[in-house]
Amino acid sequence: MSADPTSGPATSSGSPARGTVFRESMLGSLRLDDDDRTRRVRLDLTVSADRLLRPFGTTMARATGRIRVTGWSDDPHAEGDLEISPLARRRIRYRITFTADGRRLTLDGWKSVSPRRPVTSMTVLPYTLYEDGVRLGAGTLRFPLGTQLFPFLTSFRFPRRENPGAFLTPRWRGEPGRTEVWYTTVTDPDTGTGLWLHHELTSPADGSPPYAHGWAAVFPKDGPVRHARFGPAAWSAQESGFSTDGIAVRPGSLSGSAEDGALRWDIAERPAGEPLFTFPRWSWRRLLLPAAQMLPAARSCYDGSFTHDGTTLTLTSATGASARIYGHGNARRWAWLHADLGGGDVLEIVSAVSTRPGLRRLPPLTFFQLRRHGRTWPRRPERSAVGWAGLCRFRTDIGLPTWTVTGRTALRRIRVEVTQPADRVLALDYTDPDGGHATCRNSERADAHVRLERWWFGGWRTEAEWELDGTAHAEVGSR
Amino acid sequence: MSLSGLTAALLADDGTADWPRRVPARLDTVLASMPLAARAGLRAAARGVDIYAAVRTGRTLGALTPAERESVLEDLAARPGLLPLLDALKVPVLLAAGTERLLEHAPAPRGPVRHDPPLDLTPLYAWPARSTADAVVIGSGAGGAMAARTLARAGLRVVVLEEGEHHSTESFGERPPLDRFNELYRDGGATVAVGSPPLLLPVGRAVGGTTVVNSGTCYRTPAHVLTHWSRDLGFTLADGFDRHLDEAERSLRVATQPMDVLGANGRIALAGAHALDWRAAPLRRNAPGCQGSCQCVAGCPTGAKQSVQLSVLPEACAAGARIVTGARVERILVDADRPKGPRAAGVRARGQDAECEILAPLVVVAAGALQSPPLLRRSGLGRHPRLGRNLSVHPATSVAGRFAEPVTAWEGVLQSVGVEEHRADGILIEATAAPPGMSSFVLPGLGAELRRELDGADRLATLGAMIADRPSGRVLGRDRTLVRYDVDRRDAGRLVRALRAMGELLFAAGAEEVLTGIPDTPRVRSLAELDAVLAGTSVSRLHLSAYHPTGTVAAGHDLQRCPCDPLGRLRGVRGVLVADASALPSCPQVNPQLSIMAQALAITEAFLDA
Repeated sequence: MSADPTSGPATSSGSPARGTVFRESMLGSLRLDDDDRTRRVRLDLTVSADRLLRPFGTTMARATGRIRVTGWSDDPHAEGDLEISPLARRRIRYRITFTADGRRLTLDGWKSVSPRRPVTSMTVLPYTLYEDGVRLGAGTLRFPLGTQLFPFLTSFRFPRRENPGAFLTPRWRGEPGRTEVWYTTVTDPDTGTGLWLHHELTSPADGSPPYAHGWAAVFPKDGPVRHARFGPAAWSAQESGFSTDGIAVRPGSLSGSAEDGALRWDIAERPAGEPLFTFPRWSWRRLLLPAAQMLPAARSCYDGSFTHDGTTLTLTSATGASARIYGHGNARRWAWLHADLGGGDVLEIVSAVSTRPGLRRLPPLTFFQLRRHGRTWPRRPERSAVGWAGLCRFRTDIGLPTWTVTGRTALRRIRVEVTQPADRVLALDYTDPDGGHATCRNSERADAHVRLERWWFGGWRTEAEWELDGTAHAEVGSR
Repeated sequence: MSLSGLTAALLADDGTADWPRRVPARLDTVLASMPLAARAGLRAAARGVDIYAAVRTGRTLGALTPAERESVLEDLAARPGLLPLLDALKVPVLLAAGTERLLEHAPAPRGPVRHDPPLDLTPLYAWPARSTADAVVIGSGAGGAMAARTLARAGLRVVVLEEGEHHSTESFGERPPLDRFNELYRDGGATVAVGSPPLLLPVGRAVGGTTVVNSGTCYRTPAHVLTHWSRDLGFTLADGFDRHLDEAERSLRVATQPMDVLGANGRIALAGAHALDWRAAPLRRNAPGCQGSCQCVAGCPTGAKQSVQLSVLPEACAAGARIVTGARVERILVDADRPKGPRAAGVRARGQDAECEILAPLVVVAAGALQSPPLLRRSGLGRHPRLGRNLSVHPATSVAGRFAEPVTAWEGVLQSVGVEEHRADGILIEATAAPPGMSSFVLPGLGAELRRELDGADRLATLGAMIADRPSGRVLGRDRTLVRYDVDRRDAGRLVRALRAMGELLFAAGAEEVLTGIPDTPRVRSLAELDAVLAGTSVSRLHLSAYHPTGTVAAGHDLQRCPCDPLGRLRGVRGVLVADASALPSCPQVNPQLSIMAQALAITEAFLDA
């Protein structure tokens, strides 16, 4: 598959575009060879494959989950693999390793699919239990059709398999009037310091040569915001990432210096999540909106050092994210939030008013994506931006120091309140490809309060609530 | 339906002896172990005789007096067309009668029984429903045992699946031969090859396979056969057979049968051969310390015969192999979607109330020449057009000679002497006795005549001859085996010549008369008379049996003719070796146990080397 994001979805080369994830629970029994008792067993698995299930072929998949054996074991970290081949090999094989009584055991068994007994053969899993290859016991697990079929079928997901590094490749192909951004925001959990690295390629609308520039900024917890610009410098075609004048963005690394070394950074980046398309995926692939933003990984971890004016900040598993923007220029007004909610959950919001005639009269379009427990809500960003022909869209009230976003879907509603205290804000001037100017007020130490509620038989109940104190990354832009 | 009327008629039961009364019950147990078709056929024939009696006398056989029964049988025997049918009826009756007679005149108990070396045996119901191994061997006979031992010694985790059960030497010593016979043979020993004439083709089914019930005769594969296999058929492993035959002989402790327990039957054969100046000698056998129990065909009761369950399989188990008994392999599991084409993944086996699947990257098929082709077919691996064809069986016939002095052929070695004078003509004569009724020789006569023959059976010496045949048979079927075998014209001539040679040998040894086994002319008193009889006899009038089915999944270089490649690998799938009699490229012309073992050794060693 091509790495060119304009020609298709960005994935690691040769791997399928979508995987498969499903959950399966089975109940049954186990009899150990040295014990006459029959023990009850429950196995709950989450199975993920790197490709779509192949009904006529064989799909190898990983499994993680929990196994419970009455009076003997309850291991929530069981793991193993599945060989799913119901027709080609007529076999669905499970090899699950877990711990019981401090011993590492392997459950090895398979459903043997038979056209004569399709239901029984697809639901009964005889297995043998081994320790270091020596048999310990045997048993049978059964998939309880009555109670588990519906959850099993509805658990199927086919997530895209994408390589975060592939999204760093420049989108720009020489067109005039484009801007492309690689930016990274980080919060150091030890010191509470926020970092902002902004790398930008601007291709002026008047056809003059493109140039690369950007800035780095640090938001110390107990000091003023410090920033330094680099560039502009001549842009040369890049295969991947951003590189100019000693400043580089590469898959897995960020490095550079500004103001003659007053600010220096050398940071390693470890993607820790699936890509997150804040704008619709199609708008990133084909530039049909004025601009689009996405995160190659919804969250990343950072290690390395950032030096400013002789002070070195050492990052160890700092959290944050890198993002990409490509488009015709900056919006007329906008607000942006990246909030790491902990536990792998991430909230990304971009609300913007276009500069285009007509569109500029609309209220801000709110592109809202909450990645929670590995699932994204709303399922598609169009839902939050335009709702149902404008009805039920998410709304943003842009202002300073506080701006809010509210929205609801059928059974959930959310309210986000972002506060950017003036002393933690860095105001910078943005230049559009057409020469226009905008002012952004950015803070990598913003506060945010997020409340997610779910409707439950006549009332709203709080499903989750997050309070971010100086760890939210936010920006408000205006002209 | 009770068969008491028929047995009373056939055995001329006049109430003077006890044992004929017990024969019907014994016959019922014999029939119970036979396949449904044979059972139904025999019962239908018995009913036919009863109906004939009822039409002729107004009463069925059971209600007639001995004289009236005799009269009915005489009427039936007067119709030559019915004789083969009546002979077929006689076979199970004689089997039951022989046993009951033997029990009444039970031989003295033998010496202490040897203890069997240990085996790692697990019945199928105690085996886990899902398991894995490095290699699965289907069948524990000569080929399977050797393959299992070779692979286990190479460090592979080997599981041997055997459809039959394990029978210890001790269990053989405790029961009369017929009881064992029913359990040790597939279909109760009544496997028949359909053809003209039909051919009895008994094969063993137990841990140890047919080696448990063979005669123990061990011939090395003849050099000219090995040359034919290697040069003409491209089975190049035959080039190294000498080494493997040596190893097989060592494993089975093969030695020439000493004269002390040879028995009168063997001595008569030697005397006859001496008189004619024919090449003959005691056979080489795998029975050191044989006590001459003459029960090889129902499992050696003293443990002298080194069937593979006493020799090779214990060594395989000592190297880590495990044997699952009562497990009939339903199919070989094949992964059809492997990158380089289909590949065997394991087997599914079923037994009474249990089934199991074993995953293994190597499956060794050693189910025997009659069972391997159907197994491959039901596994979806039977697409080769020659699979199941190329069946050679070594058709055999037998004659008996009546001597003035008692011979008591069943006291001594069952198969004792080989007469090799006619081997160049493809005829191998072997002095073969058997417990009464279990011999392939069918005593002539019905009623009183048959009873006289039974009572005088101790003066009979029996010889058997097998011929090197053309591969004119075929194994059909998928779930059940159906064997089709038509004697080739050349082989028919050989069989007749073999019969004459045996007659000549018996007359030379001093026989008063020779029982030909031909229904129309059962007795001849001179060689000239025998020649006259044979001149007008077609092979379809002979009682034929066969014991050595081979070649149905032949190995060789010809893609079109051989389902296996020269290394014993089944074509069209990876991970399947064929290491039993079915993979022999052609008829080995001698008792095949050593050939099968050497081949299994060669094939598995070649696999390990690769």
